[in-house]
This record gives sequence, C-alpha cells and structure tokens, in this order.
Amino acid sequence: MTAQRRPGMDHEHHDWSPISTRGVLRWPNDARVALCVIVTLEHMEWDPPEGSFSTDVVGGLGVRPFPDYARYSHRDYGHRVGIFRVLDTLERHGIKPTIAMDAQTAEEYPYLVRHCLDRGCEIIGHGISASQMISSNMPVEEEADYIQKAVEALRKATGAAPAGWMGPEYGESAHTPQLLAQAGIKYLCDWANDEQPYPMRSPSGEMYALPSMLELDDVHALWTRRVTVQRYGLLLKEGFDALYRDGQQNGRVLVINVHPWLIGQPFRIGFLDDALGHMVRNQGVWSATGSEIIDWYRTHQPGG
Amino acid sequence: MTIQQNRVAYSPIIERPKLEWPNGARVALWIAPNVEHYEYLPVQDGPRNPWPRTPYPDVQQYTYRDYGNRVGFWRMLEVLDKHKIRCCVSLNMAVLEHFPEIAQAMVERDWDFMSHGIYNTRYLYSYTEEQEREFYRDNIETLRRHTGKQLKGMLGPAISGTAATPDLMAEAGLIYHTDWMHDDQPVPINVKSGKLISVPYSIELNDSPLFRLNYEGDYFAEIVKAQFDQLYKEGAESGRVMCIALHPFLIGQPHRIKYLDDMLGYIMSHEGVWQTTADEIAEYYIDNYYDAAVAHAKQFSA
Repeated sequence: MTAQRRPGMDHEHHDWSPISTRGVLRWPNDARVALCVIVTLEHMEWDPPEGSFSTDVVGGLGVRPFPDYARYSHRDYGHRVGIFRVLDTLERHGIKPTIAMDAQTAEEYPYLVRHCLDRGCEIIGHGISASQMISSNMPVEEEADYIQKAVEALRKATGAAPAGWMGPEYGESAHTPQLLAQAGIKYLCDWANDEQPYPMRSPSGEMYALPSMLELDDVHALWTRRVTVQRYGLLLKEGFDALYRDGQQNGRVLVINVHPWLIGQPFRIGFLDDALGHMVRNQGVWSATGSEIIDWYRTHQPGG
Repeated sequence: MTIQQNRVAYSPIIERPKLEWPNGARVALWIAPNVEHYEYLPVQDGPRNPWPRTPYPDVQQYTYRDYGNRVGFWRMLEVLDKHKIRCCVSLNMAVLEHFPEIAQAMVERDWDFMSHGIYNTRYLYSYTEEQEREFYRDNIETLRRHTGKQLKGMLGPAISGTAATPDLMAEAGLIYHTDWMHDDQPVPINVKSGKLISVPYSIELNDSPLFRLNYEGDYFAEIVKAQFDQLYKEGAESGRVMCIALHPFLIGQPHRIKYLDDMLGYIMSHEGVWQTTADEIAEYYIDNYYDAAVAHAKQFSA
C-alpha cells in the first residue's frame, strides 16, 4: 500500500519519534554510549534451494556462475579463520560479542556454537543462511515457518531460544517484526533508523528495535561502498566521537555489525582493533550485548 | 547440502596442530603472476561472456590485457628479479605457444607453473567430465612439452570450475587447487582418488579486483604490508601462507610498478620468510601434514 499523506510513519510497526524532542535516555552509570558489536556468522550455500531470494550476496569476486568456488570459500574463511581474530579483538577490549548466527551455522558448526558460548557471547537469530533472505516473495506462512526453523535450530544448538534477531542481509517482509514477536523474539536489529532503541508495535509480547549503524557495517562500508580499510577505521572512530559527544545530553547506542570473513582478514583486523581501542579508552562507554541493552531500555524508556 | 558437498572438512585454525615450515619460517610467501592470454575472437560457450562490453572483438579490453605480455611482464620481471623472487606463475598454457620469449624468461628463472587453463576466455563451467579430463591432459602435455615440468596445481581459468573439478584434478595427478579463499593454511580437499589440497591464493591481495575499482598502488602496498605484519605475528605460533596475486597488465603499468618494489622490499627484509611456490608448499604439506590434518578434522564435523 502506498503512503497516506498524513503525519507519522507510512507503516504501523512503530511511532514517529524525532530524537530532538525525545525524553532523555540514561544508561547504567550514566554512560554516554552503549556499545554493542554484532558479529555475523552466516553460512553461504554452495547451491541454494530453488526459489530462494538473495541480493547479490557479496564475497569472492562478485557473483559468478555456478560453481562459485571463490565466493563460497571466501565466506567460509570467516568460520575457519576470521572469527577467532574478531573474538580475540573484542575480548582484548572487554566487549562481550553478540553473535548473529544462522541455522546452518548452528547445525553444521557445533564447534563454533560451543566456542561462542564458552566465551560468553550472546547468540541471536540470523535466519537460515546467507543465501536465503527473508523477503516479501515469501508467503506469510512460509516466512513464519522460516523464522520458526531458525529459532528452533538455535534453541537446539545452544540450549536457549534467542532473544534477538538480525535478518540475513537485513532482509524483511512487511510482516517480519510481528512474526518474530510471535516466535518469541524480543528485539530486532534490522532497522537502521535511530541512535536509541525504540519500541515496536507487536500483537504478541514486547518487541524492540535495536538499531544498527548501517554505514559502519563492514560489508556496507568496505564492500558495497569500497571505502579503504584505513578510512573505515577512521569512520568508526569519528562516528564514535560524535555519538560520545551527543551522548552526554541523551544516551546513544552504537551497534556495529561486522563479518568475520571480511573484517577478520589479516590486513583488516588491526583497523577494527585500533578503532575499538579508541572507543573503550573513554569513560562512560558501556559495552554490552543486545539483550543487556534492551533489558535496561525496557525499564528506562525516555518519554516522547 | 550445506557444507559444499563435504569437499572440505571444517577445521578451526586455532585448534590445529602447529604447522612448521622449513627452517622455522613463520610465513610461506608465494607470488603468483597471472600470465594470461585473452582471445581476440573468443567463442562464448557457457554462462559467462568473455567480452561483455561490445560485440567481439573488444579492442580496448583485448589490448589492455595484451599490454601485459608486450610490456608489463618485462617491467614486473625487473622488480621480481631485484628481490630474487621465484614465482609460481598462474599460466594460461597457450602463452607458451604464442609468446616464446615469455616462456623462455620463466623457464630460465626456474619458476613453477600452475595451470590457469588454456586461455582466459575459455571457462570450465559448461564442460562435461570427459571434456574436463581432456582439458587436464592438454594442460599437462603442453607444460611438459615447453618446460619439462610436471603440472601439480591449478587456479581455474578465470577462476571457473565445475562441481567435479577437484575430483578430476586429482584423477589427473594434480595435487593442489587454489580457487579456495577459505584459509591461511593449506587444507585437504576431499576427492574420490588421490590427494588434493588447497593452497591459499588471494582475491584480496590481488591487483585485479583492486585496480578494477577505485584503489591504487599505494593502497595495494599498504594492505600487503598490513597482511604480512599480521601473518608474521601469528606465524610465530604456527606457520601461515601468504599469497600476492599479480597481473602484468595491471601491476606492470608505469604508475604502479614502484609499489610492487616497495611491498616486496618490505617483506623480504624480514627473517623467517620462506619465499616459495605453491608447488613446494603443496608437496611439503602433503608429505608432512596431510594425513594428520584429515584425522584431526574429523572431531569438528556435525
């Protein structure tokens, strides 16, 4: 349905709320910035099922004819090598990771599930695979089933249902937030439109958006936009500095989504390390997982 | 099937037994110039169009690449010689037939030769198994005839392949495949007969994807150095592989060549670098680590 020309959003998922008139959000210990790093562990399928939708899922040399050894294996680098560099880097800066893990990773890489849990990571839902996005091409029953399968795979692999969700390649239909709420998800990271969490409308249980900073997503910056890795490091630092300044008046959240197959490459990891070091050196930075941030937010929501 | 037909067993790098290179080197460095020939009037026989910009011929793109053989190769060679690099060339085999001076220059320097197909405008995608078998016979025979060397590995022509490629390579007696960008160490690839491994090549430290986009020589040199620093640090614990992939038509441009000199000078000033070839890495790994790696990886399967 096209937009109706009246005040407010052109959808029912959440209210219009400009940050300029919003009440003040206070983080624990009056932190200025709540810092959350989402590490995306997603499996690229060799031969995705017929009819599955994906954007030109990046990696390798771009999309090539089947069999695309380069793209497939470039992604697998994240699971074999890159993830450990990323987790070591986060650990060095005292940042507890939030892992967005797809069902195929949960099922086929039990070692990685155990490894992430042992390191105290929160694991959130991330669909079935990188090559099967959610989109409006899916009938709603199929989407509900897709979400259920992804949630169930994580419950089985980790022993607990995920509280959070990030869709593969930020993929959603117009029903996704409600279907996720029905599946027991409490917060959603696909919506990249704010610097604070906000409530989403849900017919079943509470649902919050935990907005990620799309421009600081490594795939968006380094692959889609082809920013140099040095500039990306600076982008992270400059972005943080501005949020840190603005967070003095009204608390900010900084959610950075990184992909081990990309940022975990030997020549890139040092720039993430340097940027995160720059952030956590400051007083008033609260490093937290997605659930920790949302749990706090639920009971400390600003008005407006 | 989620894991690629179970071609490669999952093995997290931090759990693997220590990999020790000859003389305790931290990094096995191999330099892979892609010495290629693209046909003036190719035939499109599959999903990929060799010259998508115009109807054939595309003189602009054809000559851009041919510049590599006429000029760029020789400029690149001066820098490689200066740093005493012994390359593992990723070779379109027809270059040996078309351009004897290039063949001679590579043979004189005792480079190793990895197949990159016959021409860079002939892809494997549409090959039947029998055609692909014949393709390996042709590659092996052509290399032997011109260099006396036995073919050991392949980077698929323009990084193309079929689902059967690893099996057919191993059947033909090849021991390594470099189309896999999945690791910083060699790893076994499951094949029906024989032993095949992947030797990490790079599409990141590679002039072709970089210089088709808005990156330049200075950036290439910077990321190569950053890559080396990280791998060199980690290589103190367990050996790493580092590959730099070059294309003479790109790196041999006058405005870029100094950056190749710069990056090689930096790396080669370090102790503990095994400057080698993919042939040697593959032989060393198969002789010393292959069987143990296969056994070790079993514990990580789902």
